[in-house]
Amino acid sequence: MRQTYLFYWKANLLTGILLALGLGLLNQPAVAQEHEEINLYNTAVDVRVGGRYFQRQCSRCHGADAKGTDETGAPDLTGTISRASTDFGIYNIIRKGIQGTAMLPVPADTPDPKVWQLVAYINSLRINPANIDLTGSPDAGQSLFTSKGSCSDCHMIGGTGGRRGPDLSLVGQRLDPDELKIAMTNPDELVDPRWWTMRITQKNGSVVEGLRMEEDTFSLRVIDENADLWSFRKNEIQSYERVETSTMPSYTQTLTEGEIDDLVAYLFSLRKDN
Amino acid sequence: MKRLLTLLLISLATVALAQDLNDAPVTPAFSPVTWDRLVNASDEPENWLTYSGTQNSQRYTRLDQVDISNVTDLELKWSYQIPVIDRAETTPLVVDGIMFITESPSNVVAVDAVTGRQYWRYDYELPEDLRICCGRNNRGVAILGETLYMSTLDAHLVAIDARTGNLRWDTEVADYAKGYSKTAAPIIVKDMVVTGIAGGEFGIRGFIDAYDAATGERRWRTYTVAGPGDPNVSSWADDSWKIGGAPTWITGSYDADLNLVYWGTGNPAPDYNGDVRLGDNLYSDSALALNGDTGEIEWHFQFTPHDEHDWDAIQIPILADIQFQGRQRKVMLWANRNAFFYTIDRATGEFLLGTPFAKQTWASGLDSKGRPIVLPGVSPTYEGVLVSPSIGGGTNWYSPAYSPKTELFYVNSYDGEHKYIKRDEEYEEGQRFTGGGFESVQPIDNYYSAIRAIDPGNGEIKWEFPIQPRSSAGIMATSGGLLFSGSVDGYFYALDANNGRELWHISLGARVHSAPMSFAVDGKQFISVAAGNVVYTFGLKE
Repeated sequence: MRQTYLFYWKANLLTGILLALGLGLLNQPAVAQEHEEINLYNTAVDVRVGGRYFQRQCSRCHGADAKGTDETGAPDLTGTISRASTDFGIYNIIRKGIQGTAMLPVPADTPDPKVWQLVAYINSLRINPANIDLTGSPDAGQSLFTSKGSCSDCHMIGGTGGRRGPDLSLVGQRLDPDELKIAMTNPDELVDPRWWTMRITQKNGSVVEGLRMEEDTFSLRVIDENADLWSFRKNEIQSYERVETSTMPSYTQTLTEGEIDDLVAYLFSLRKDN
Repeated sequence: MKRLLTLLLISLATVALAQDLNDAPVTPAFSPVTWDRLVNASDEPENWLTYSGTQNSQRYTRLDQVDISNVTDLELKWSYQIPVIDRAETTPLVVDGIMFITESPSNVVAVDAVTGRQYWRYDYELPEDLRICCGRNNRGVAILGETLYMSTLDAHLVAIDARTGNLRWDTEVADYAKGYSKTAAPIIVKDMVVTGIAGGEFGIRGFIDAYDAATGERRWRTYTVAGPGDPNVSSWADDSWKIGGAPTWITGSYDADLNLVYWGTGNPAPDYNGDVRLGDNLYSDSALALNGDTGEIEWHFQFTPHDEHDWDAIQIPILADIQFQGRQRKVMLWANRNAFFYTIDRATGEFLLGTPFAKQTWASGLDSKGRPIVLPGVSPTYEGVLVSPSIGGGTNWYSPAYSPKTELFYVNSYDGEHKYIKRDEEYEEGQRFTGGGFESVQPIDNYYSAIRAIDPGNGEIKWEFPIQPRSSAGIMATSGGLLFSGSVDGYFYALDANNGRELWHISLGARVHSAPMSFAVDGKQFISVAAGNVVYTFGLKE
């Protein structure tokens, strides 16, 4: 599913060189790259070298798959990086760390090319939309979203829609097209615990059912079908059970394959860069 | 024996009640916050519906379960750690048992107000090259219906679904790259979100905006620097109005009967070099009364004409109805950064009285219109000139309080001084533009700081409670006869609102740089305050 976007990086490199020529920066020695915004260390080899460095230096906190861990609070690096929107932003974080967090800078004597190789590796973990060729039509998908698919009954996009499923305003940044398709055809395959259903029986026997907003050792909070918010302490209820399947139906019977492809194309287009 | 029997009966009743409460089914929160609820917020003291509690911004709660007799029984109920390490300046809102807390840099989290445990969170994505003056702060949200409204550091206003944390809309208020930012909680006026702007240290042109709460479209903008078409543009030499500052970085107030929005404005730019902007520099360092529907300036009162000491009028306008010289008047109470306390008629803007409440060496007094009579030799020089109050002022942005019970106004005040220095500086878009600076001449511990209780009828200080070394916290007054506030060294305390007597204190371990608030759930009163990076909630021992 993950691809190496060598072609993309080559194109990027070319743009970089052209830009650098325009700025007259190619005359500068490599160390001056700290002040540039373009990664010149971007080949497949750089990505591999950066990956090796990542495993040794970064995976303890971010995980070997770079998806982050709760233990350290290290974020998932395979999606959008909230603190950096450019290569140079990622470079700066690696080089300087993030004050007030567990993210420390790399050793000061780490050569610049090594840091840029790391940037190249981190970039390689993310899908590049430019390399994805989808068969569906985003416009048709947008129309299906609110009509035949009835998706907007449960999902919000741009502040409009229901609250029974995740907000999809930027879903194209979180999920790739394959994952989007699986979510529609086999929604039970991967259900985020946020969307499990909790069935709570109170001491007076009344039952509350809702989606699991948060659960901890002593308490849990749910949002019910009417979007009412409930907070329970576990020692003050009779019992609770988790339903770890999705409340979303599979669309294999209600939509054609072409229509699902249209929806995938639409949902994948929902990204900040779009 | 009879007494014993009564006690026994009470105990049994308490046990039975507790049993009932334990078995009582949980009910869901919350119901939409209508405009009517906001206007009458003081009728539901169990909720804290606006940044300052009510539209008159008195930061006074009608809850009286915690009072002078039992305040020593307060204990910590829960704490919420903000994940981004910074300085919390937030005042949370509470609506029907749900608390909304803003976090640094521009995030919001919804928690159960009884347990502090999370329902949802919203993280706003910020650019990397922010232009901010004084830290990555956010002070709170406003709510209307089922939507929260929050300022962001890159000068956007966002609307967030209060039930899920989903983004409703995101409107750019101004271009952050030009030095604009936003930190304060907005207020709601009817179906609009009214909000200010920060950036007084970047040569912005300040304004107050109103946005359609449903769509995020701008309804009106009122510039706080007079421009072409406004005769007061003559209070700015040449074109200096274009970069005149006068930001609006704290929350305003609203009077529904008069349909007036009240807002304070900050320093003219550049802060310390007035040579490049000769004139009074209207409407910097002023209180403005704006028509709630159109934003038109109905009246203005300038506290510090041609300010050269960064004495922003960025204070919460407290609205109260008081007896003034034998007559009932609708007034606005204002302890200003320039160290003078003012009582102003809020319908007309008429100056009623003004008197120093903290040490000041810059004016011999105020004239009959409230204009300061400035002493010679107080303007910043290239070498520096020593003047009181300090750069931080006699007070600053931190919320004062007013108790209708004691009829006193309470403010954290500081008797400091600084050496003010002038510098020649060219304006460059998006860069700092202060035209000088300041220097300390003594350690901070050498100065005196106190909570002062002021009689707004005559400006007299009724009592004061000394604070060492000083405070940058807001104050809350309660119907239980208490004041709550904190200090920079991490204490949170309760005083007797009548006389300033200390009743209770606790060390929270880090600076209290926020204002306390109070709410109730299931008949139990709680008091919350942010200190350091944490929101603490206290209630009575059970």
